[in-house]
Amino acid sequence: MAKEVKPPKDPEEPDLLPAMGLFTILIPMLLSMTAFQKLAIVEVTLPERSMMNMTNDAPPEPDQQALNLSLAITPEYLVIGARGGFQPNVYFKEMWTFRCKSDAKLITYSPEEVKAAVDAGHGPKCQDGKEMDKEKYLYEIETIELWALEKTSEEDPGRVRWALYSSQGENVPDSAFVNGNNEFIAMTGEGPGGLKAPAGLKKPGAGTALATLTPNSARKLKPEDAAKNIIYPLSAYDLIAKDLIAIHTQFIDLEDVDNIIVVANDDTQFDKIISLMDRAKSAGFAKVNLAKLGGG
Amino acid sequence: MARKMRQYAKDVPFSLTSMMDMMTIILVFMIKNIDAEGQLVTQAENLILPVSTSKVQPKEVSLTVVVDANYVLVDNAKIITTEEVLAQQELLLTKVDSVLQERRKAEQEHALAAGLPADEAGNIVVQIDKNIPYDAMYKVMATCGFAGYTNIAFAVMMKNGGEE
Repeated sequence: MAKEVKPPKDPEEPDLLPAMGLFTILIPMLLSMTAFQKLAIVEVTLPERSMMNMTNDAPPEPDQQALNLSLAITPEYLVIGARGGFQPNVYFKEMWTFRCKSDAKLITYSPEEVKAAVDAGHGPKCQDGKEMDKEKYLYEIETIELWALEKTSEEDPGRVRWALYSSQGENVPDSAFVNGNNEFIAMTGEGPGGLKAPAGLKKPGAGTALATLTPNSARKLKPEDAAKNIIYPLSAYDLIAKDLIAIHTQFIDLEDVDNIIVVANDDTQFDKIISLMDRAKSAGFAKVNLAKLGGG
Repeated sequence: MARKMRQYAKDVPFSLTSMMDMMTIILVFMIKNIDAEGQLVTQAENLILPVSTSKVQPKEVSLTVVVDANYVLVDNAKIITTEEVLAQQELLLTKVDSVLQERRKAEQEHALAAGLPADEAGNIVVQIDKNIPYDAMYKVMATCGFAGYTNIAFAVMMKNGGEE
């Protein structure tokens, strides 16, 4: 007699209720411990109270054997000073990128363009045509960039320098690349003010050996990384960072080699101070102090 | 003609598979973002902190001073307007100083009671909006230093969310 073939049974679904119970407990617990925006700190050590000078008395004479390194920022340039002398000024063009509240889109202006609009009684315009609050527009700045300028003289308005950058997102620069001679892969821009990327500056292909300012960062570009690189205005912060690394290496034997004073004027935004402190700390200057331009 | 009534099964099993998929995705996302050490500094409202490459985490909970577009706050209490800070010529912010001196005294008494050295420099975390002018920041910093809080740490947001 032929054996009766049983029709296949529907597969039974596993009992997921205990797993669901576990997940329901785990998710609120992890949610309470999740940090979506991680905060860190940048330390500054002030002199002890007994050493603090709250008056306008002249500061003590500097030690001639020490490095006495300072990094000053003015509205037009960055400059490194040491032992009473100064390195050449690193000129820059400041650019403000706003995130408009009306359309949540980014728009970039130079401070001069913003001031011209405010003087004419308007706030800076968003992409949707609406105006930002002309009283509080300064607090809508999302990023402040300092584009390095190539200048032939003090009077020369200068032209923007462009460089090869790795990218952390769509047209968002991350680290500037240097070649084997530790020079930025950069060129002066085209058009008025050098605001157009130079046609001669090409993105290197996969297999090219490159490095960033970070120690031991030399690498051969992988195809996927080569595609992500961008040509972007060279940051004055990066130029200064390269000089600071060189100074720290050159004067490593001096007692105050880890000290630097960041000097700025009253109007300098806090964002710029933190950017300079970041570069100084990355270059090896662990003790960062702050001072005002023209004393204080 | 009478409309035919739809027949419903008596026991419809509740399918949890799609829910499990969703839960698994959420769980993996949460584990990736977990901060097991917890946050000793939380960002104040009404300000945007600057982005920094620093990865230094505060070691202990400290007194917090906040400077936003409108006010200077000490431990969430409004002390003085930012406009007043910018308008004054003197470096020392007297209202802020008196509050900080009180806090410092209380901290020192607490340290003495606990048998710890009371003359060590005080720690303070300053949260400043990224677009605040240096003048305001410098006055706040000098005032903190004058009140005995010479270990100043500026709160910043980690670049790329702290990821390499």
